[in-house]
Amino acid sequence: MAVTLDQSSASAVVEARRAHNEKLARKADQTRATWFPLAVMAILIALPLLQFTGNYNYLLHMVLFTASHVAMASGWNILGGFAGYISLGHSVFFAIGGYFSGMILARYGISTIVTAPLAGLLAAVVGYLIGMVTLKVRGPSFIISSIALLMIARILFDNWELIGGANGVTLPVNDLPVQWAKIPYYYAMLAIAAFTVWASYKIKHSKFGLGLRAISKDEIKAESAGIDTRFYKVMAFALSAFFVGMAGAVWGEYLTYLRPNIFLVILVSANLVLMSILGGKGTVAGPVIGAILIVALNELFVATMGASEINILGTGMVMAAGLMFFPLGLVGTLARKGKLPRVLNWD
Amino acid sequence: MLEVKNLCKHYGGIRAVDGATFTVDKGSITALIGPNGAGKTTAFNCISRTVAPTSGEVWLDGQRIDHLRPHKVTAKGLSRTFQISRNLSDMTVIENVIVQSRVDGIAGLFKPAMSREEKDKAMSILDFLGITRIAYEDGNNLSYGQKKLMDLAALLMSDPKIILLDEPAGGVNPSLLEEIISHIQALNARGLTVLIVEHNMDLIMRLSHRVVVMAQGRVICDGTPDVVRKDPQVLDAYLGGVLEQEAA
Repeated sequence: MAVTLDQSSASAVVEARRAHNEKLARKADQTRATWFPLAVMAILIALPLLQFTGNYNYLLHMVLFTASHVAMASGWNILGGFAGYISLGHSVFFAIGGYFSGMILARYGISTIVTAPLAGLLAAVVGYLIGMVTLKVRGPSFIISSIALLMIARILFDNWELIGGANGVTLPVNDLPVQWAKIPYYYAMLAIAAFTVWASYKIKHSKFGLGLRAISKDEIKAESAGIDTRFYKVMAFALSAFFVGMAGAVWGEYLTYLRPNIFLVILVSANLVLMSILGGKGTVAGPVIGAILIVALNELFVATMGASEINILGTGMVMAAGLMFFPLGLVGTLARKGKLPRVLNWD
Repeated sequence: MLEVKNLCKHYGGIRAVDGATFTVDKGSITALIGPNGAGKTTAFNCISRTVAPTSGEVWLDGQRIDHLRPHKVTAKGLSRTFQISRNLSDMTVIENVIVQSRVDGIAGLFKPAMSREEKDKAMSILDFLGITRIAYEDGNNLSYGQKKLMDLAALLMSDPKIILLDEPAGGVNPSLLEEIISHIQALNARGLTVLIVEHNMDLIMRLSHRVVVMAQGRVICDGTPDVVRKDPQVLDAYLGGVLEQEAA
């Protein structure tokens, strides 16, 4: 017989505590600024109107590029941040999304914007199956297994004639004027990024998110607390792959060509890890801030130092310095110190 | 309620648990004692399935549970604490407690992390254990004793039928020890079955209805506290052969 505690034990002390805790919760809600990302979204939605006044293709490209990384880093964060499993193989799902939708576009002329959710689903199914095997190990072993996944996928894609092998596939370009050609992909990527961040928030505040956080802290304890850790981890892997796959789908058509050496390189995965860590792994805002910072830093150093090795050194130095002062990432460290500005508190 | 039959756990040539057989009666407080290295914690780990037994059977309420994964054992109504408190760092006490509440199906996974009902239940458990004041403290900031109480609170959140407490009094001060004893007695009075591994003989003799003694992976004695304390095998196991030497 299960023991149920007497309701009368919810005494006046508990009532007083509850009132106090609700007050704390209200205060926490007041310090949370969900209006800020919504305001930023409103501005970004209106941004293409600038095209009526001149050529802002570069600006739109940068926002689109950043949005793709926001989506991928936030997706990666579901597994790497919430569950604590660092994957360096997520570019595989980026490639699966890109190639799946890209090949449908090449053969049947259906835009990747339409097929992106299907690409995400395929990536999720592959992620689920792979996760069932690789998530039996953790720590360095899991990281190595994720790199192995990337290497296997690269060999497979390089030698798969149906999808163009190492030479890749050229995709049809849309017939919009140059000034408006980016707009469909811009809005699609913006929508994917917003959806990913919203989903990330919802997951973090769900039972599933609480379970993932428990797994990241102590898997044995989590399992004995009644959490099906294997299922939670595999689900996190699949969901994480879903968002990365969707971003890959739109990115492929935007580039107008697919080649394994664009999608299946470790740098793509490493960037997701770095963005999440620099911004604050395990937080909702962290990967977003990290993606914006790293894209902006890369662009700044390329502009000032040229596309040489020195620009990479510049970005690396700033990142190293950032992590020295913000070991839990920008958002994580500021939140821990109670100094997180309201505009960055979306968690 | 709990039946352990011929339980074995071997690590290479080491037989940590070597054919242990005992039962825990419904509504009882049973203690599992023995000298260091007797296999008590390993037996606990095998029963809760934290480690897989090499052989043997574990039955809970007529259902065999030794093949189940730990979360399923918990779902069957058997919850445990660990010898060294394993609180989930960077999570508040109430999160540490609510994480142990049951989730219904896949749809349940995406419900809010803490419902109003769960918060109320967690708060009443914390109130019962006298630690409501730390409900929103980070688990990292607790004293060792508070962590032990938090562990106990988390167990109760899953509505267990039987709880396995691994050294609940280990490293706690005498006043907290009294508190823990009274909590265990109160829980037992409400019908909860308890199995305890403990070195504190005062606690064991005061609390237990039955005592199972292990040595070298085997059960060497099983009976009431009075019977066990007079058993020569038990004395020998604890005193390491001193009695034999004295007799000689």
